[in-house]
Amino acid sequence: MSSHSNNNSIQHLYEGDQSKLYSGVMSHHHDVNSDESKAQVKRIWKIFWILLAITLVEVVMGMKLSHSMSKGLVNFFFLALTVLKAGYIVSVFMHLGDEIKGFIVTVLIPLVLFVWFIIAFLADGGFWLRMNNESSVRHTTAVHATK
Amino acid sequence: MSQTTVVTAEPKLDLWGGGRSPFNVSYGKMMTWFFLLSDALTFGAFLIAYGTTRFFSSVWPDANQVFRAFPFLGDNLPLLFVSLMTFILIMSSVTMVLAVHAGHYGDKKNVAKWLLWTIIGGICFLACQVWEWTHLNGECGGLWGAFTQIDPSHPFAGFFNPHSAEVMDIVKNQPLVAMQSTHSFFNYFFTITGFHGGHVTSGVIFNILILVNTVNGVYERRGHYEMVEKIGLYWHFVDLVWVFVFTCFYLL
Repeated sequence: MSSHSNNNSIQHLYEGDQSKLYSGVMSHHHDVNSDESKAQVKRIWKIFWILLAITLVEVVMGMKLSHSMSKGLVNFFFLALTVLKAGYIVSVFMHLGDEIKGFIVTVLIPLVLFVWFIIAFLADGGFWLRMNNESSVRHTTAVHATK
Repeated sequence: MSQTTVVTAEPKLDLWGGGRSPFNVSYGKMMTWFFLLSDALTFGAFLIAYGTTRFFSSVWPDANQVFRAFPFLGDNLPLLFVSLMTFILIMSSVTMVLAVHAGHYGDKKNVAKWLLWTIIGGICFLACQVWEWTHLNGECGGLWGAFTQIDPSHPFAGFFNPHSAEVMDIVKNQPLVAMQSTHSFFNYFFTITGFHGGHVTSGVIFNILILVNTVNGVYERRGHYEMVEKIGLYWHFVDLVWVFVFTCFYLL
């Protein structure tokens, strides 16, 4: 009896399909009407309302404030709200927040590259902007074109 | 007896000792995440290229002027149609996560129900995009590369912010600069929303496939609905990309 431990019965169900260990038999919850299940569904809808509210705030800002408020400040709000929305989607809808810490870190670390990309390309864009503004060719071509 | 306890307790202590996934996820799910990561870099490259071009242009079309039409409701409703599209996509993300949730509980009927709603949402979003593209095709006289010449019969001045004297000055006195910005804006717009629309299309196809499998009881026999989870990750990723596309093209 002791040789047929819990481990062996899992091995029997495993049948070479790893997923059974991590998403299947081992972690199965059975009662969809349980309090735990209802709490999870409630959380999903809560996040939906938050995402909807953020989007509405963004649209109203885009329509009403984008020409009256300082452009830099408006853009900062837009980017902050976008990152917040992305965070909710990844953490709750994609369940990354429910994974173990090592996995979260593994997925998120490569995204740090974007910090470098954005800085590098904005610097490049800034250089080109100066080139374009100072270039006499640009201005003369434009004048020719209007004539 | 005490020996058995020691042997079974040991792997739990050593996460990286082998015999189990140290990340507590299956191979397929982990690789789905890494695929999405690479896809995020692709979309990121597109959006950063767009941002750089925009940053070095002295003028840029104004979203409130470009995106102002709504089917059957008129031509002066800035950002309203794209808000509807965003709402549809967020909604379909919610129905997808509800399908994944039902899958965790092995609830076949609800998985099928929520997957069906997700497919409907995806098709609605694509229909909206088709309308928007068709509308812009009419406005621009083409999709990619419609603005290559300064042609008086082909005005692009209407895409710029009329309330800014500085912008209007450049549009009037340096039309080449304004034309080039308009050209870049629409090329990036059609490329990036097209690439995103392609992802939505394949997402809808994947959802139809797993709906068929669910209804046929494939996942019930397999003992888990992990495939719904993996396709769900892809679907949420598509929604995630839209969040950034929305910000870059319609808001900033």
